[in-house]
Amino acid sequence: MKSLKHKIFLWIVALLLIVQALAFWTLYHGNRNQQQAEIDNQLNTARIIVSELFERRIDYLAAFAETAAKDYGLKQVFNEDKRSLLVALNNHRKRINADLAMAVSIQGDITGQLLRVFPASSKAPAGKEGKVVQGPESGQEFRHPEWFHSEQTAHLYLINGDLYQLSMSSLNVGSTTIGWLAFGFQIDERLANEFKSITNLDTDFILKNHNKRQLVAGTHIGKSQSQQLAMSEAIDNHNIPEHYIATHLPIKQFDEQILNVYIYGLRANIVSLLQEQWFNLLSLALLTLLLSLVSAYLIASSISEPLKRLVTQAKAIASGQYHQTIQLYEKNEVGQLAHEFNEMQTAVLEREKAITHFANHDPLTDLPNRNKLNEVVSTLINENKHFTLLHLNLRRLKEVNATLGHEVGDEVIKELAKRLQLISSNSTIKLLVHLGGDEFLFVVNGDSVDNTVEEILTQLEPSFLFQGISLELQVRIGVANFPEHSHDAIKLIQMADTALHHTRKHNRLVQVYHSELDVNSVERLSLINDLKQAIPANELELHYQPKLNLKTGIVTHAEALVRWSHPKLGMIPPDDFIYIAEQTGQIKALTRWVFFTAMQQSKQWKELGIDINIAVNISAENLKEPDFYPYICNTIKQFNIDTNQVTLEVTESSVVEDTESAITLLSRFKEQGLKISIDDYGTGYSSLAQLKQLPVHELKIDKSFVQQLQSDENDQTIVRSTIALAHNMGLHVVAEGIEDQFSLLWLAEHQCELAQGYFISKPKPAKTLTPWLLDTPDFLQKKQHSTIQGD
Amino acid sequence: MKKYLLFNLLICLGVFIIRPVYAAPCTKDSTQNLCVDVAVENSSGSAQENIVVYLLPMDGQPLTEQSPVITISQKDKAFAPYISVSQRNQQVDFVNQDNITHHIYSVNSGNNFAFKIKQDEAYTLNSFNNSAAIAMGCNIHDWMSGHLLIVDTPYFGKTDKQGKVSFAIKQPGRYQIVVWHPQLPTEKNQVQQTERITTSGQYLISLPKPLLALPSQESSEDFDFISDY
Repeated sequence: MKSLKHKIFLWIVALLLIVQALAFWTLYHGNRNQQQAEIDNQLNTARIIVSELFERRIDYLAAFAETAAKDYGLKQVFNEDKRSLLVALNNHRKRINADLAMAVSIQGDITGQLLRVFPASSKAPAGKEGKVVQGPESGQEFRHPEWFHSEQTAHLYLINGDLYQLSMSSLNVGSTTIGWLAFGFQIDERLANEFKSITNLDTDFILKNHNKRQLVAGTHIGKSQSQQLAMSEAIDNHNIPEHYIATHLPIKQFDEQILNVYIYGLRANIVSLLQEQWFNLLSLALLTLLLSLVSAYLIASSISEPLKRLVTQAKAIASGQYHQTIQLYEKNEVGQLAHEFNEMQTAVLEREKAITHFANHDPLTDLPNRNKLNEVVSTLINENKHFTLLHLNLRRLKEVNATLGHEVGDEVIKELAKRLQLISSNSTIKLLVHLGGDEFLFVVNGDSVDNTVEEILTQLEPSFLFQGISLELQVRIGVANFPEHSHDAIKLIQMADTALHHTRKHNRLVQVYHSELDVNSVERLSLINDLKQAIPANELELHYQPKLNLKTGIVTHAEALVRWSHPKLGMIPPDDFIYIAEQTGQIKALTRWVFFTAMQQSKQWKELGIDINIAVNISAENLKEPDFYPYICNTIKQFNIDTNQVTLEVTESSVVEDTESAITLLSRFKEQGLKISIDDYGTGYSSLAQLKQLPVHELKIDKSFVQQLQSDENDQTIVRSTIALAHNMGLHVVAEGIEDQFSLLWLAEHQCELAQGYFISKPKPAKTLTPWLLDTPDFLQKKQHSTIQGD
Repeated sequence: MKKYLLFNLLICLGVFIIRPVYAAPCTKDSTQNLCVDVAVENSSGSAQENIVVYLLPMDGQPLTEQSPVITISQKDKAFAPYISVSQRNQQVDFVNQDNITHHIYSVNSGNNFAFKIKQDEAYTLNSFNNSAAIAMGCNIHDWMSGHLLIVDTPYFGKTDKQGKVSFAIKQPGRYQIVVWHPQLPTEKNQVQQTERITTSGQYLISLPKPLLALPSQESSEDFDFISDY
């Protein structure tokens, strides 16, 4: 991955290169255009200068010839002796340094001709003025009589190959012409050189006659005549050599003859200056590029450097080092970022503390939670110190929540926590943990368990008064020891839980863990999944526990109880998996299977002549199913069973949860003729008022009241008054948990209608129970009578 | 330039006036004289006015008669008349009628002269011993142009509006009738024909070519500052 520094650097460099390239391109084109413009300009200027100079020379010469022709002195000697005429002519010639002066008589003869010559060998000695001689044409006829009356003021005149530009003017007396004067400038190397000195370009004068070129004069340093002619030809053909710039100017003021001026020069002479500029620019561009690169690097560094420090700091924070802050004194955004960073660091630190606290403490009681427990237990195990876990569970909290609301439940938990905290100040107590809900756990030194338990019970003895309600704080305690039970922290805690679970099941206050307790709870999780497979895998089995009619001594009823024959764990009691089924939404299928199977059995028995009412346990969840009612009715109809041969057993608590709809549904069942029984009566909080509304036929007294009936007079009182109450409300009474003959007879004596328990029969599969039903023992010693009645 | 001159010329044709006819008027009753009329017509056949006609005796006829002295005026910065004719050995008077000095000169024809003539002055030349066509100019006023024709005969004159001029010839014989004008584009600016004149009669001379334009004798300057002082 590229670092930010590199990225910024590369971007700036790329940007700079583009900008430089653009600038350079523009400059290059500008330069080229400038070059061309410069060249065009130079050529144009040269043309204008040459043209203008010619114009000036022509005008100058014409004006001078006209002026000279007006001179009276000249007129006077015009027809006099030749010497006087030549002197007068030369006087005029000198005034403008003309190269040619000529007088032509009225007859058309040249009466005087003066030429200024420069000896060819060396120009210097003759000087600038040259030397004036008589021309060769003196006395001859003038060759161009047509010019006498021509309006043209400029002519090209050749004398022995030298070309002159000539102006003529007539010499008049009044209106009468008496002769002509002519003055001329030679078109020669001097003129070419003069042009060159102004334009800096070579100049050639060329006459063309029938495509034949005649070089008149030119700046021919280092060039032959043929080269000059070739150049003029190239220019005419627009075939100028690459390294030359050139132009052509025709001077058309001379009669029909055109004087061609060719102007040219080496391109390098003009471009050299521009070239030099070009190299300066190039080096300047390179220098700026270099500087830009350095500054780009510095900029990239200055941006990324503080960021790097922030990154380092962020890494430090990520690894949990909160104590060093970052110091950036810049006032810009990065500085602000650093400041915010430090703020964030503080905030994160605080929040982490809070989170850590929450993670390790229960929000309700602010006591350490399971995380802390694991930590402490692990530490203790590592230190190999003997200790004991006391797992506490508040009894009947669910009922408090249900009847008084969760707020009261929370207050109860808080009160419990407060009282337990008083104990935890004791030095023998390592830790008090709130595991959540109504569960707490003490970690206690191994040798002080009894004392602690005693202290707990003492501390919780006073009832908790809340808003005028007196609440009992009763706990059950599960105990696990290190190192006897396990060397693994998690397992050890699990064992304490298992022990606690056992107290619930067996209604004990304290239970110390031992390995036999472990069977169910260890595998509990896997049961959830296995249960799904139980019905299709045909692992479930229905057992029936008969109910004895205490008046007749005949078995008239039986309760269907489900058993799960787990492939690995063997037989699993319903208490262990019904709860799971309810919690995981599998109770619907389970109940239906039970009901279906029970009805099937009922039909079989009916066919065998066994007339028996089968009771099926209905969960609170079942009562919420919208299609529960039709299913039950349809199933009964399917097996053609009398509805009064079916009893639905409903627990007190399941009816309490949603009383109204439960009542409605149960009423409909009752109307159909089904028997409704309240199961486990006496363990819940159902009021008599509720009981009165319930459409039930019988009450089932919980076995906890019946088991110790012989020894416990309180239980006898409860059972006796419950039976009386039920009878007064027109309900039958069923007693569970009959384990001895005393109870059976006692209940029969107290008008209890039905009895159920191990004393009579354990729950048995239909296969085993059927022969038993066909030959039932005589429990009330009324066998004879019963048999007679049964027949 | 030429067009401009032509324009001026057309406007100023009216200036072209010749008043005196120096030839003696021919009287029919005078028996010793022969009356000769010469009519000049231009190349297009119409009468040519103001053209010089003179008769040169071809047979040595004695010519004693001396024609009167002529005067050439400088008036309005022009020669008046434009063309003057005088007999050989006769004096010619110059009169400056302008309020400005003129510098009259002639440089050709072997009759070179030059003199300055101030305002209202007169100047006389006596040096014309040979026949000649003398072109005159003014060295101060370039445009001024005049012609003095010196002839060796008393029979000379300029045609009138009808293109006619009359001569009273005393001796019959052959005469060369010469028609001259400075703008006549022929050799020596003349045409001539020889006639034996024994009786009175009329001779018609036709010009072979049209005359060139007459000089306007006016400054070509747009603004003539001289006229203001």
